[in-house]
Amino acid sequence: MSLQGYTDRRVLLVLQDGRAIVGVLVGFDQKSNIVLSDCKERVYSADEGVEEIPLGLYLVKGEMVCLIGEIDEAIDSSADLSTIRAEPIPPIRYG
Amino acid sequence: MLPLSLLTAAQNKPMLVELKNGETLNGLLINCDNFMNITLREVYQTNPDGDRFWKLKECYIRGSTIKYLRVPDNLLDAVKDEQNRTRDANRSSRGGHTGPGRGAPRGGNFLHTI
Repeated sequence: MSLQGYTDRRVLLVLQDGRAIVGVLVGFDQKSNIVLSDCKERVYSADEGVEEIPLGLYLVKGEMVCLIGEIDEAIDSSADLSTIRAEPIPPIRYG
Repeated sequence: MLPLSLLTAAQNKPMLVELKNGETLNGLLINCDNFMNITLREVYQTNPDGDRFWKLKECYIRGSTIKYLRVPDNLLDAVKDEQNRTRDANRSSRGGHTGPGRGAPRGGNFLHTI
């Protein structure tokens, strides 16, 4: 069980606050703290296309990480984000 | 590359820190430790809605309250270069022979058998 196989690949990172960030995984540690380069946040909305906001180099705390998944470049690059409508992911609520 | 090596390399660099409560802090990284506790100087703090601002001379942030840190893009190349340099330095300091690996060449020298 390791993120090693994801290094230098483009990944999707979903945070506990519901944000979806795509970027290249360049580093991680035992606590799942994550270093992502060339990050972009994908902002989903029910009545507008997906907006991509460039963020740059990010260091995300492991505690905030919900999900990390490898991106299929072929599928991702063929998708037209401006035509995708989707409700944003709500933040995790405790209690 | 370890997240903490990136963070230590970010000392004296500007960064944006978002806390779990949504507040953001913009400032120069002065110090950090293995828990990601950090001190920043010349800080601009904003509330979670981003409509109120405060200026702080210096502040200390407990690592466990941090959501993420945004650091300058060029730091990645700086850290990679530094890691390559130290790796090469270690290589050349250990022995530094350039010959055909370890051990003596096989056969040939029959002075050994006399």
